[in-house]
Amino acid sequence: MPTVNLDLFNPTEEHTLLRKTVRDFVRTHVEPQALEYDRQERFNLPLFRQLGDLGLLGITVPAEYGGSGMDALAAVIAHEELSASDPGFCLAYLAHAMLFVNNFCHNANADQRQRYLDKVISGEWVGGMCMTEPSVGTDVLGMKSEAIRRGDYYYLNGRKMFITNGALDDATLGNIFLVYARTEKGISSFVVEKGFSGFSLGQRLHGKAGMRASMTAELVFDDCVVPVENRLGEEGDSLLHMMRNLEIERVTIAAMSTGIAGRCVEVMTRYASERTAFGQPINAFGQIQRYIADSYAQYMAARTYLYYTAVRMDLNKPGQRIDSDGVKLVATMMAKQVADNAMQVLGGYGYLGEYVVERLWRDAKLLEIGGGTLEAHQKNITKDLTRRMDLIR
Amino acid sequence: MKTLVTVKRVPDPETTIRVKPDGSGIVTDNIKYVINPFDEIAIEEALRIKEKQGGGEVVLVSIGGKSVTEQLRTGLAMGADRAILVLCEQPLDSLAVAKLLTKLVEKETPELVLMGKQAIDDDSNQAGQMLAALLEWPQATFASKIDFAADQKSATVIREVDGGLETIGFALPAIITTDLRLNEPRYASLPGIMKARKKEIKEIPVADLGADITPRLTVVKMAPPPKKEAGKKVETVQALLDLLHTEAKVI
Repeated sequence: MPTVNLDLFNPTEEHTLLRKTVRDFVRTHVEPQALEYDRQERFNLPLFRQLGDLGLLGITVPAEYGGSGMDALAAVIAHEELSASDPGFCLAYLAHAMLFVNNFCHNANADQRQRYLDKVISGEWVGGMCMTEPSVGTDVLGMKSEAIRRGDYYYLNGRKMFITNGALDDATLGNIFLVYARTEKGISSFVVEKGFSGFSLGQRLHGKAGMRASMTAELVFDDCVVPVENRLGEEGDSLLHMMRNLEIERVTIAAMSTGIAGRCVEVMTRYASERTAFGQPINAFGQIQRYIADSYAQYMAARTYLYYTAVRMDLNKPGQRIDSDGVKLVATMMAKQVADNAMQVLGGYGYLGEYVVERLWRDAKLLEIGGGTLEAHQKNITKDLTRRMDLIR
Repeated sequence: MKTLVTVKRVPDPETTIRVKPDGSGIVTDNIKYVINPFDEIAIEEALRIKEKQGGGEVVLVSIGGKSVTEQLRTGLAMGADRAILVLCEQPLDSLAVAKLLTKLVEKETPELVLMGKQAIDDDSNQAGQMLAALLEWPQATFASKIDFAADQKSATVIREVDGGLETIGFALPAIITTDLRLNEPRYASLPGIMKARKKEIKEIPVADLGADITPRLTVVKMAPPPKKEAGKKVETVQALLDLLHTEAKVI
């Protein structure tokens, strides 16, 4: 048989170079600020704009529109490398680059791209996406926000909850949002700018367990006036837009999980070789070996599933729902467990912020909730598999 | 201005280097390789010169096995225009490297050759000087600032020397070797990475250059540095001075 020489995690030279660029940037610029911004619950806007200089904010935007023209697997690499150091900052990146930029670029027309893409690819404007509402989460089709057309304008009413990048600090609204709402013919989406009449910051949400370096907000639309030319596609098109973009969202959240887990495995392995107890390094004890070995094996299993899913993913087409749900389901739970294992190996030091895993442990929990709860994935996978038994083996 | 920049593949300074038990070299299994950091500074400077002058060409040159392609591709992703790889599997000393570079300079006729002041693996700090001697070109080593005359016929370089800074002027073409404080190299941007694949890496078998690369130096033995021992605290400056004199024997 011919030998297969595939590096699944870096299948092309471009992926290898991308990982090197992001890892070098993270080591020099992201890691040193992570603990401070987490403690202060602040978003590092200047650092975010540096991602724009590197081309990371438009990572999946085709080169002809001024983006970097990379694929889903490249987006996975970027999220994995950023999250290994600062998941909170990475979440702000994800909300901008995947939930706004990628979604917008794939569904916008030429005029819309012309008006907005430059500003979001450079990082001049910070974007987000509005789907969840105060009383509607997993049951997304039950959303209450509504846009009613009168002449050349829509009047948008409703509230959106847990919006990453909704605020830049306590008082400043984010710059631009892709907002889902009911319209006469089903779910539509709109580009809403800060400054549109009737659009305001309800509240910036404080006291999150983790992901404290990204800002989360409740946004209010009170007869918000949106020009018709800011609707993406036709009325009713956006259920498809939403489903398609949820796939890359889930895959990149899985990548944040492997980023967290990889870092935790690294930290616990090093610590266990240096820390001694009863006269020998603690990695000589079976109990510690179990934490390290189980963590590594679970991490590699999830990571392999992640890259297997990403390498086959076409950003222009839906159709990866089973595995984008599947990999998020397995990777997020794995990350939480591995972060917990790392904290246990480090004992009292693991509980302190400066040993890193404490922050990653808090951050990991959100990944089981945001971008689709575990329960949403279980629901979707069961439904899809029942229809497509042929995918099982 | 056409600039030739040398690129050496060296072990990542972040990796732990282990010496083989027989002292014949270092253990190369599972170590990562990078562009020699001083060469990375040279690439950055060449790119800045091109950007400032609004034109010109940046050509990367390396000598080694096929694996060096990885470092050349990184340099191309940073923004260099093309690369030349002299395929050579045998280890080379600085003079052999300088002789091969002489042949390439004769082929490429650049106005400037930018090199790292030394490679962080063997720290020889010789190839640039030898190349200048062989070509009979002016040289400015340890550059921390480089400026060109408006007509691009001459350059002024500030050098980091032991006593401070030295400013020298000379005519081009010339060899300049880069020191740490010259600049801070850029990251390969994502659009740069996507463009790099389409750029040429021309491979030349070492024999085709017809240079005498017979080794003049042999590595006799490699040994790891002695392990650092725990320090000690002393109460007074006088006690420190005494120990430096009697125990450490450094003053």
